[in-house]
Amino acid sequence: MKPIPRETRDVFFLLATIAAVVAPHTPLLPLWAQAICGLMLVWRGWLAWQGHKLPGRWLLVIVLAATTALVLLNWRSLLNREAGISFLCLLMALKTLELKARRDAFVVFFLGFFLVLLRFLYSQSLPTALWTLLVVWALLTALVLAQMPVGQPSLALAAKRAARVTVSGLPVMILLYLLFPRIAPLWGIPAETLGKTGLSNQMTFGAMSEIANDDSIAMRLRFDGAVPPPDHRYLRGPVLETFDGQRWTAREGPRRGDTLQLSGQPWRYQMTLEPLRIRAVPLLETAGGDAAQVLGPYIVRRGPELQWIASSPVTERLRFAAEAWPAQTAGAERSPASLQADLQLPAGKNPRVRAWAEALRAQPRFAALSDGERPAALAAAVMDQVRGNDFIYTLSPGRYGETTPHLIDEFWFDRRLGFCEHFAAAFVVIMRSMGVPARIVTGFQGFDAEPQEGWWVVRNSNAHAWAEYWAPGIGWQRADPTAAIAPERVQGGQALRPAPGALERFSPAVWPAVRGLWERMDNRWQQLILNYSRQDQFDLLKRMGVAQPDWIALGRAGALVIGVIALGSAGLIVWQRRPHDAWSRQRAAVLSMLRGLGLPSAAHESPLRWAEQVRQHFGAPGHELAALLMSLEQSRYAPEAPPWGWRESVAWRHRLRVAGRMLEANRS
Amino acid sequence: MGQHNIYIVPSRPGLFFCGTIAILLIASINDQLSLGYMLTFLLAGAGLASMQATHANLRGLSLDLQAPQAVFAGQEAMLEIRLHNTGRARFGLGFRLRGTAEEATAWVDAPEKGHAVVRLSYAAPARGLYEVPELQIITRFPLGLFRAWSLWRPAAQLWVYPQAESPVAPFPTQAAGPEGEHAASVQLHKGLEFEGVRPYRRGDTLRQVIWKKAALALETGQALPVRETHAPASRELWLDMQDTRGALEARLSRLCAWVLEAERMQSPYGLRVGAQEIDPELGPQHRRECLERLALWV
Repeated sequence: MKPIPRETRDVFFLLATIAAVVAPHTPLLPLWAQAICGLMLVWRGWLAWQGHKLPGRWLLVIVLAATTALVLLNWRSLLNREAGISFLCLLMALKTLELKARRDAFVVFFLGFFLVLLRFLYSQSLPTALWTLLVVWALLTALVLAQMPVGQPSLALAAKRAARVTVSGLPVMILLYLLFPRIAPLWGIPAETLGKTGLSNQMTFGAMSEIANDDSIAMRLRFDGAVPPPDHRYLRGPVLETFDGQRWTAREGPRRGDTLQLSGQPWRYQMTLEPLRIRAVPLLETAGGDAAQVLGPYIVRRGPELQWIASSPVTERLRFAAEAWPAQTAGAERSPASLQADLQLPAGKNPRVRAWAEALRAQPRFAALSDGERPAALAAAVMDQVRGNDFIYTLSPGRYGETTPHLIDEFWFDRRLGFCEHFAAAFVVIMRSMGVPARIVTGFQGFDAEPQEGWWVVRNSNAHAWAEYWAPGIGWQRADPTAAIAPERVQGGQALRPAPGALERFSPAVWPAVRGLWERMDNRWQQLILNYSRQDQFDLLKRMGVAQPDWIALGRAGALVIGVIALGSAGLIVWQRRPHDAWSRQRAAVLSMLRGLGLPSAAHESPLRWAEQVRQHFGAPGHELAALLMSLEQSRYAPEAPPWGWRESVAWRHRLRVAGRMLEANRS
Repeated sequence: MGQHNIYIVPSRPGLFFCGTIAILLIASINDQLSLGYMLTFLLAGAGLASMQATHANLRGLSLDLQAPQAVFAGQEAMLEIRLHNTGRARFGLGFRLRGTAEEATAWVDAPEKGHAVVRLSYAAPARGLYEVPELQIITRFPLGLFRAWSLWRPAAQLWVYPQAESPVAPFPTQAAGPEGEHAASVQLHKGLEFEGVRPYRRGDTLRQVIWKKAALALETGQALPVRETHAPASRELWLDMQDTRGALEARLSRLCAWVLEAERMQSPYGLRVGAQEIDPELGPQHRRECLERLALWV
């Protein structure tokens, strides 16, 4: 086979790199954008292979205008995150068509790094990190290739050089990572939640056909004393009250809050909360206290619906102590009039469920009950309905609302497939239809079955949604319809596992072990590297012996390190400049000593000549020194004299110094 | 080349790179992306390391220049620069005359502990004796984010002879020799009469060597024996400025062409410009002397 010309090979390499950069973004791109990107790359590859000319500038301008228009049509903006990513991907693919391989490596390089960073908005997992490493390496290799204009350097050579540069930059990277102050966002606030399971301030009914099980750790709890039983392991997050027929959202604006009375023996615990990137701080139910608390850079307050809210999304790991009471009375004294928001239902939606609920409410057995007792009885009846029918708890229920706008109807009567949020939403809609104030509470439920080193682990897959309804005089009561359909979800604390994959079926013993190992590695990665925060920075300073770690100390540490590095490199330069062979250095040392003794010795003379000078100058006392110089002469010039080893030269130098000092003493 | 004569500045892509890092850093801060910090600092580290690598790509490289071949005005002068690399392989070393365009750069790689040769040609200036112009050696390897360069003024001179006239005009009519003999034009005898034997002198043609006796002479350590040819005054070719007309450069051009032609025809020639005279002779040494005289004539 004919070897590929260098230009062609470089283009192929760059195309492969671009493909690798764009690939993880493709699930975000609309189908047409994926098609355009793919087409451009293939077209460019074909042109390179055939050695054809690149398309003219006008064609490119037209294609660019067309893709920009498509992006604008699709998102009505370029600043939207997904629009931005799609636009960058398209731009990168387009750029290949005016790629003269070498010079344009820079453009691809810069675009590439933006795309890599944008990827981190969606995932910072270990695989993403490995992908980043590979892609950065490939991009740097492309750059190195661009700087080798001669001949046909091999890719391996360029890759090696790129790796060498990167590795020599590693100390700088580590130092910066450790010492660069982790400051708060400069403007705006970080985007909340990243499309994982977990929590957010809204919940769209049936929008997710399947939820991925994200086993990353959300928080850890260590109890001082008793551990709450499984049915008390609810961690309260955002409370959602407003429903538009599809989406549940938290209420905004000033509103009356619930009063709270606590009773029983509280559980005391410490929590390490991983950055969930939401404002809610999920605390074990029911947390007491009214005062705002300062946790790290955040001020955390209790909200009107008894959830705890931080002043901005929590993007740092927090450690704190808290208490939880087993029994509570919340909002008992509120008037039904102040609870209108918890009765609101979208007009005209879900007529079948509403009719069914009204029929249930009209059953004579409820008529006899008092206003205070009735909501509990109604709730129990709804729970029975869930338990008694063929509802199925599944993580892949499929999408709702594709054929009908009445989503709850579809769930309650037709499909009956869902997970916690479906059950909780249906429960709240039914309770409201029956005139009982109700709301959705999201948060976490359950811990790992066993604590790790005393810490109970709550994972993002423990995210949960349940309901609360209100009864006059009694207040808000928790109702978890998921517990009715899938008790193991609540009792065992574990979410249902997705259906086993092919590998798992093939080798049921090995696969979980491999997965476990991988998860542990990924967790370690999360803990050690990604969650390195301001707190860890200060801890590091403390361990380095700084009594009062703060920004100034951090700055000093940085300056110190930079200073040491600068001095070190200056020293290295001086070291590299000194004579390189041992003889030159030795001669310089001997000469400076002889001159110190007042001898007219010069560098071009031999040790023999120096010895003569010593004898002339000092006579008998100089004998020792002269003999030493003679032995130097011997070792250097006598035929077949073995060269001195390291030990011999050290001993010789020592004796030389002693002899020199004695002569010095004699002289004075 | 060492610490004191290598200069290094960020290139334009290097400045863009700084901008990119700044944007990445701001994005990492604003979205609190740990991996973003990592990427940013990795790139910053690589950028700094590449500064060192770019500098090291020139540091410790030694250069020497072959004495450049004399050229005629209007021709391209060729500089042959040898690179001696005692360290690791170096790539993407560019050579050009100081002040010339980027495109005129000649690129070369220097292998590990080895040599490389780079040839740089440039249009010779007008006739004369010139210092070799200052050379600029640049590199952007490995990442192209920094541009390191050094300036080098080689201690060498370049002879630029006058442009040779073409086609060659007929040789001038020779003035009467001392014997009063006239020659309409020089008869160019290839085989001159045998007059005697003398030792070899520089400038003797190979034809004059008596090869039959050469081996013996070399054996005994004597110089090669050469036929002494009698070169009568009438056959001496005098190339005289007086015989040319027109502008100075045109006259010098003609003289130059005559010198070359006479040399080619192996006809001993002398040069007379103004009051200066070079006695008739033959050979590269003589030719050079004549051409240099012409090059410097003012």
